[in-house]
Amino acid sequence: MDIIGAYPTFYVPYIGSAWVMGIIGVIHVLASHTSVGAAFLFAILETKAYRDAQPQLLDFIRRFGVFLLVFSYVIGSITGPGIWYAITVASPRGVSGLIHNFVWVWATEWIYFTVEVIGVYALVYLIGKIDPLTHLKLTWSFALASWATMLLIVGILSFMMWPGNAAWYETGSTNDAFYNLNFFAHLGIRTGSMLVMAVVVGFIVASGMKDTNLKVSVMRLLAPIGVVGGFFAVMMFLYYLQTLPGNALIMLRSHLLPRYADGMIAVFVVTTLYLLIGWARPQLVKPPLAIALFLLLATIGVWPEERMRESMRKPYVVGQYIYGNQVISRDAPGKGVVGEVDAIAEKGLLALHPFIPDRLRTVTADNRLEVGELLTKIACSNCHSLEPGAPLRSLPDKFHGSGDTDLIAAFLNGPLKHGAIPYMPRIDLPPDETDAIASYLTAVGGARRAEPTIAATPSGSTEN
Amino acid sequence: MTIGSMMNAMRDPAGVPGAPGLFEALFVGTWVLHIAFVLLTLGACALAVAGFLLRESGPHWARLSAAMTGVAKIGVSLLIVLGVAPLLFTQVIYDPQWYASNVLSASWAIGFIATLIVGYCSWFAFYAKNEASAKRVVVAYGVVALAIFLLDGLIMHALTYQALLPERWMEWYAPGGVVDTSGARLHAVQWPRYLFIVSLSAPAVGVFLLAYADYFAPRSDIDPSYLAFARAVGRKTAVFASPLSLALFLWWMTDLPPGGQLVMHPLAFLLALSVPALAWLVWTKSAPGRGYLFLWAGVAMLILLSIWRELIRVSTMSTFGYSIDDYKVNVDWPSAILFATTLLGVGGLVGGFYLTLCYQAGRVRDVYFPGANVARLSSAAVTVLIVWIATFFTYGAAVWVKNVFLP
Repeated sequence: MDIIGAYPTFYVPYIGSAWVMGIIGVIHVLASHTSVGAAFLFAILETKAYRDAQPQLLDFIRRFGVFLLVFSYVIGSITGPGIWYAITVASPRGVSGLIHNFVWVWATEWIYFTVEVIGVYALVYLIGKIDPLTHLKLTWSFALASWATMLLIVGILSFMMWPGNAAWYETGSTNDAFYNLNFFAHLGIRTGSMLVMAVVVGFIVASGMKDTNLKVSVMRLLAPIGVVGGFFAVMMFLYYLQTLPGNALIMLRSHLLPRYADGMIAVFVVTTLYLLIGWARPQLVKPPLAIALFLLLATIGVWPEERMRESMRKPYVVGQYIYGNQVISRDAPGKGVVGEVDAIAEKGLLALHPFIPDRLRTVTADNRLEVGELLTKIACSNCHSLEPGAPLRSLPDKFHGSGDTDLIAAFLNGPLKHGAIPYMPRIDLPPDETDAIASYLTAVGGARRAEPTIAATPSGSTEN
Repeated sequence: MTIGSMMNAMRDPAGVPGAPGLFEALFVGTWVLHIAFVLLTLGACALAVAGFLLRESGPHWARLSAAMTGVAKIGVSLLIVLGVAPLLFTQVIYDPQWYASNVLSASWAIGFIATLIVGYCSWFAFYAKNEASAKRVVVAYGVVALAIFLLDGLIMHALTYQALLPERWMEWYAPGGVVDTSGARLHAVQWPRYLFIVSLSAPAVGVFLLAYADYFAPRSDIDPSYLAFARAVGRKTAVFASPLSLALFLWWMTDLPPGGQLVMHPLAFLLALSVPALAWLVWTKSAPGRGYLFLWAGVAMLILLSIWRELIRVSTMSTFGYSIDDYKVNVDWPSAILFATTLLGVGGLVGGFYLTLCYQAGRVRDVYFPGANVARLSSAAVTVLIVWIATFFTYGAAVWVKNVFLP
């Protein structure tokens, strides 16, 4: 191997490219899940309106629909490609790996997206403009088409965690990649969650309605759906935990759940109580309360959940064969994919990476720190920020601001070189490159020690 | 290490799951859909803003402005979703070019998303406030949105154009040998290409207005004089912008890759000819009832443009030794069949159902009651989705059980 297919590196100081991706992702999850869940709420409400001759329920659908056109079909439809752009610049080889496995699945999802966008405008603007039965069929088909977008993306997202068995590596078939071990569990979580989110957002819309009778009837209809959806999501989450690979469980048990579990339980309990109040005393649900609950769900529910999923699959970003640092970690004979770790160990990143300036391909006393910084960004910055005190698993903080180059080099030449840490990639580099990284981290750690305010920050407070 | 060997190494090692030419065709074809709505939206935005400013100069400008605001609102939604497909297909066969260019201007790629949200929200505000009684300052929402849309178009153009210049990637990434990982710069813009494509928004909205007038002609509640006005505006817009478009296209021809083969290519002449030809057709043949024909003529022109873009790409990449024809192929039949059947079943039936409803309902004044054929179509749409989902789960469960439980 004379060269690896690596791309240039994009680095955002302090938060890293990972948080950029995470922020866009959370907004998209909120918007997209709400829109899919709302599609089913519309279908259920409209069926009731049609069957029980309660056309006033359509007023709520129209109102919620217009709200969704801005909230979900503006924010959601833009942040969808937004996630794509974010992962493109943060993990180009990761998203490329996904696309080259799943392009037909994504293209299938695109058909549904297109149908869905046309459908939502038709649904909202044709209320009262076409006969009720035809509109009901429109609404049900829209709901099913919306859910199909979720069915299709979940298989791809689940594969990012791992295929769950050896089949895909041997066959390279999309069948074995898509219907992976945690696919159904993951789909269950998202399907339950979409109903909760849609009901919580629906409560925001309903709480502002002046027609008290309509508000009461809508909230009483929606609340049980949210409660059942939430319970189902929790059950599927517990099942999901049983489908995770070993590295994910270690990460979960040692770093993630201890910090997030209380918040997640609190969100579940508070949301369930809120929905029950909405059922029993709909008048008590006012817009400020409804908005507060939505924000609670977003910040203490969705953000940690998305962060957990991102963190759990580390050191990989795709299918346990592409590391977060873009290196192919193993062979996948079914696709003719060859691992790159050993070649890098033998020849070094400076020789194999196409985007290294010539003057930095050889380590010298003059450029050691500069080479060290570049190698650290290439090898580590997908998961770690490089600034002391930064929130994304700051590397200087991980080494406690150490000024001991030998100590850092010992870590690089020990656990990291041999892949002994389950949630970190195996990074095996020639001695001059390891030395450059250690020298650079020592210098950055020195900067940390020179800043008393930052130095006083307990290292345990940073992300793991 | 040559530039060609670098790009070939950057290809995804998993290969492509079908013939590269098929993805190329899908890329070229879906880009036409995307750019059609980009151009319509930009044209509608400009006309909505102009109409708002001109509303005191004639009785129909305010109404046309409001209508074009609505067209642009839906247009943005559609251009985004339709843009996903070419974005997807280009990454299958031109992944080295696409990813490298994006990472080199990563901050702009992310900024594209943030600004598009601001721009679209601003347009929604203009849409909500664009009434006859609205104060003049309301136009600021529209102007801001239009400016942002143009900026976003420029970002997309730059990312595409930078992908065609692999010999400069290293110079951009490490100017003077010093690496810059911020992605904070747009490195290359080919102004004539960008401005030419943007200029086509005038004929796009022009021919749209001809079809618009024909579409609403059967509606007894719509003032015929308004429709005649819309037709006249469309005709002038399509025709009077054509000299500028032609000049920009000729400017672009002076800035093509060296060698001269592309300048002499018949497609270049055809494309240059299509600009005045469309204008001449609109000027001389745009009698009522022919509006849809001009839409198709516009689409034909965009197909030429899309093929032309691909021709430039193929020609440029071949000089570096990069050809999609030698991309490793790992055909994946299950997912290919999934796509093909969904395109026909769901895209055709469900999409056809929605479009039929929208089309038919808009042409009647009161409530639309579908005939027997549309009623059958509506039932078929629901049925095909139920069958699709049932198949998806049945097939998936079988694969899942095989992999999880069987040796």
